[in-house]
Amino acid sequence: MDRRSFLKISAVGSTTAALDACGKPEHHLIRFIPEEDLIPGVAVWKPGVCTQCRAGCGIRVRVMQGEAEVTRKSKPGLISMGLAKKIEGNPEHPVNHGKLCAWGQAGLQVTYNPDRIRFPLKRSGQRGSGEYQAISWDDAIAELASHLPVAGSSGSPSPVAFLTQPLRDHRGALIEKFLAALGAPPAIHFEFFEQTVLRRANELSFGHRQLPSFDLANTNYVISFGADFLGTWNSPVSQNHSYGEMRQGRTEQRGKFVQVEPHMSQTGANADEWVYAKPGTEGWLALGLAHVMISERLRPAQAAGNAGALIEGWSEGLPDYTPEKVERITGVESGRIQRLARGSAAHSPAVAVIGGAPLAHTNGFSNALAVNALNALLGSVEKPGGIFFTPRPPMPSLSTSRNSASVRTLCEGILKGSPAVETLLVFNANPVFASPPAWRVQEALAKVPFIASFGSFVDETSVLSDLILPDHSYLESWVDNIPESGTTEAVVSLASPAMLPLHHTRPMPDVLLDVAHRLGGDMARAVPWKTYAGVLQAAFEELRSHPGSVTAKTDDDFWTAVQTKGGWWSNEAKGSPAMRELNRPPSPTKIVEPAFDGAASEYPFFFLPYASQQFSDGTHANLPWMQEMPDVISTAMWGTWVEINPQTASRLRIQKGDLIEVASQHGKLQAPALLTPGIAPDAVAMPVGQGHEQYGRYASHRGANPLKILAPQTEPETGALAWAATRVKITRLGKKGELILYAGSEREWPSQFQHR
Amino acid sequence: MKRQWGMVIDLDRCTGCEACVVACHAENNLATVGRDGAARGRTMHWMRVERYWEGEFPEVRLRFQPVLCQQCGDAPCESVCPVYATYHNPEGLNAQVYNRCIGTRYCGNACPYNARVFNFFNPVWDKPLDLQLNPDVSVRSVGIMEKCTFCIQRIKQVEIRSQESKQPIADGEIQPACVQSCPANAMVFGDLDDPKSKVSQLARSNRATRLLREVGAQPNVIYLRSVS
Ligand code: SF4
Ligand code: SF4
Repeated sequence: MDRRSFLKISAVGSTTAALDACGKPEHHLIRFIPEEDLIPGVAVWKPGVCTQCRAGCGIRVRVMQGEAEVTRKSKPGLISMGLAKKIEGNPEHPVNHGKLCAWGQAGLQVTYNPDRIRFPLKRSGQRGSGEYQAISWDDAIAELASHLPVAGSSGSPSPVAFLTQPLRDHRGALIEKFLAALGAPPAIHFEFFEQTVLRRANELSFGHRQLPSFDLANTNYVISFGADFLGTWNSPVSQNHSYGEMRQGRTEQRGKFVQVEPHMSQTGANADEWVYAKPGTEGWLALGLAHVMISERLRPAQAAGNAGALIEGWSEGLPDYTPEKVERITGVESGRIQRLARGSAAHSPAVAVIGGAPLAHTNGFSNALAVNALNALLGSVEKPGGIFFTPRPPMPSLSTSRNSASVRTLCEGILKGSPAVETLLVFNANPVFASPPAWRVQEALAKVPFIASFGSFVDETSVLSDLILPDHSYLESWVDNIPESGTTEAVVSLASPAMLPLHHTRPMPDVLLDVAHRLGGDMARAVPWKTYAGVLQAAFEELRSHPGSVTAKTDDDFWTAVQTKGGWWSNEAKGSPAMRELNRPPSPTKIVEPAFDGAASEYPFFFLPYASQQFSDGTHANLPWMQEMPDVISTAMWGTWVEINPQTASRLRIQKGDLIEVASQHGKLQAPALLTPGIAPDAVAMPVGQGHEQYGRYASHRGANPLKILAPQTEPETGALAWAATRVKITRLGKKGELILYAGSEREWPSQFQHR
Repeated sequence: MKRQWGMVIDLDRCTGCEACVVACHAENNLATVGRDGAARGRTMHWMRVERYWEGEFPEVRLRFQPVLCQQCGDAPCESVCPVYATYHNPEGLNAQVYNRCIGTRYCGNACPYNARVFNFFNPVWDKPLDLQLNPDVSVRSVGIMEKCTFCIQRIKQVEIRSQESKQPIADGEIQPACVQSCPANAMVFGDLDDPKSKVSQLARSNRATRLLREVGAQPNVIYLRSVS
């Protein structure tokens, strides 16, 4: 008898024993024989990869023996197993240097979330009702396979669409192989705070279609246009880490930091100088600074180095961007523009950053090009203290070349009936929650005959599916990740599962492989691996011959060593790959006017949704630790609020906590007012992330979702949603809303903490 | 060997990211109290990030200040406890013996830093969130006061290991959960009695100050003032 069948028998045997033992229902559970050797009380640290955002920080998971209720072979029972007890940063990892952000810390609550889907489900009620019945994995996979028609012989593509969160790992590559073998179009990547505009601008300016990394530790002056780089944007832990060094890591130099934004963010709160520019005018300000630098000869043109082409034609001195003209457009005083320009030129190396709202206007692309060119003028491109691009690791298995559609065009297509979508696969993407109403996502999905989803939770999108194939959590899975930014080394993070799965779940890539093998023929040949671990092992063999953080004589040794380390990084060749030669980088001397939805007479306020420190785009709203972590600026917990300038509030006789209706041309919502000096009198701001209708017990029916009143404005170069381009009106509703604040008074900072 | 554990928090590095706040919840089995509890002011944070506005729009700025138990040398909470549940341990920690506590909450009233929280209810973890609990830290029940311990379980673990191996504790070897997570490296923990430790060097900085110095509680948490 082998060990497995012995386990089965003893598990059955102990049921009866347990039943007799005690009257309480939880004691009726089977006790399974442990599947691991564990010493009680002794902690083991296992390397892992954080997947709470796209930054790809390396983690270590503290695993200790404990008792857990689990599902094994579809049966619930008790087992003694290794349980993740704490997540810390991996000190060796080049992105996060042993550190983590709040989302990374809250990762345990993803795995142990009571609302996780525990076994495969097949819809039993009406679509969207959330009524499901449990089915076996065999049946689930057979069901999925029966809904995956391959491309027709006439050349018509397979009517299968795959909608996923952006993936920078081999799961993404596997999905592409799978879809290509089916003859289906490439996967559609969706996240609300997408970075297409900046990637496209960086591609044109610098030859890198990716997010930038900043060498803040060696910077003497940072001017950031709207980027929440210490909070929610790009690679927050790496940016916080180098920011700390910039401020106090050097004895003789303390870097200065200026933030330009329409509404004070957590990042802006740390600025030495906080500058308000009218929403959508950031590009003018960047060129206004450039004008002063050129006319006062503060920066030699040759300082731009390889980026010189970006500022070609600037020798005439950008006559349209004199401080006076820029003041009229941006609202930033001309004297201040001169001072900022002189300051940044005097404190070399200086670097400019752009992110967030300035990119989310209809002119976001030209704002980005202007800031990129400012970096060229500052001489910061690929120079110490400047802007860099993380090289890609030498892993050919990752290359994908197909261009994919957007959720918006997918939905338009479905509503028009062409191209036909018979089957939609969804993985951790929630466009029903995170899209403007005019995209009609829910209506479009309702038309798709068969939807299957792989996520761990029922959310507004996955509740529309006919079949749910729940994934393992990231602590239970093989995880790999290629950071797009946050380091100047090429990195591939890797982790084997830190713990066994709690529930009867299966990793999404393993399900794809199972399905492909069930379909057989070309499908099976296209993805010959049995498991995702096999995919990764084969991929890592490509790396062994390259010099890096791990060296080993054999592939097997290499494979073990990268797992122990938490990945592979090229500790030689620091710095980004040379800028690609560009034919004609667009000369950003013409900023386009931003367009807003709604006439200023009827909709007098700019509406500024922003990524929440607690929930990002809403993904973390189901974690009680994040709900109860006070938003650091408002100190609000368990809710949403509308930020209003106190002057505006007194004019409209609005008091703190009053329930406000915020209405655009596309919808309205209600939320309590929060009076805050960090916002302009003609704007209102709201954090994104609450207002879920379907996202488990902690998130559902809490607060309001600002995305549901957004206009479908787009940035024309990329087609990206211009989410900062809606105007609204506000009305006091005459009753109080629910505003739970951690702090009472707002102004009591003891002046002794000011160092003069 | 006599030690005085202490912490330096550099307000010029702190960015208000609150990784420390969540790290503390995860390490120390802090309960979440949910919407209703939070509305009644019953959240259980041992570590909080205070924020203060200055000025009016557009000349406005914000200050962040992480606040935890200041582990006072002359702690106002210690002298008021009728049952010696809160006491001074030999390494200068302001320690709390949970099973002595009878819930008078005198200590909470006496604390000038508002560092102490009270269990108004037995904590609940919706299953299987109970699996996140750290077995090295006891779960407190209704009627008990609690507060930041400087992650005493981590201190003890390293001390025991050092005793066993007869290796001295290296500076920086002990990191409370907040310190370990802080992405901006704003917090440093160590022995203030060791003049060579990083924490005592920073504590001698000309930016060093203490919270509510005038109260005279002799905190062992030292703040470095922010520069601008
Ligand atoms: S920045 Fe935070 S959420 Fe993102 S990968 Fe790093 S620890 Fe995780
Ligand atoms: S983790 Fe560090 S930077 Fe973040 S709020 Fe806490 S002390 Fe400040």
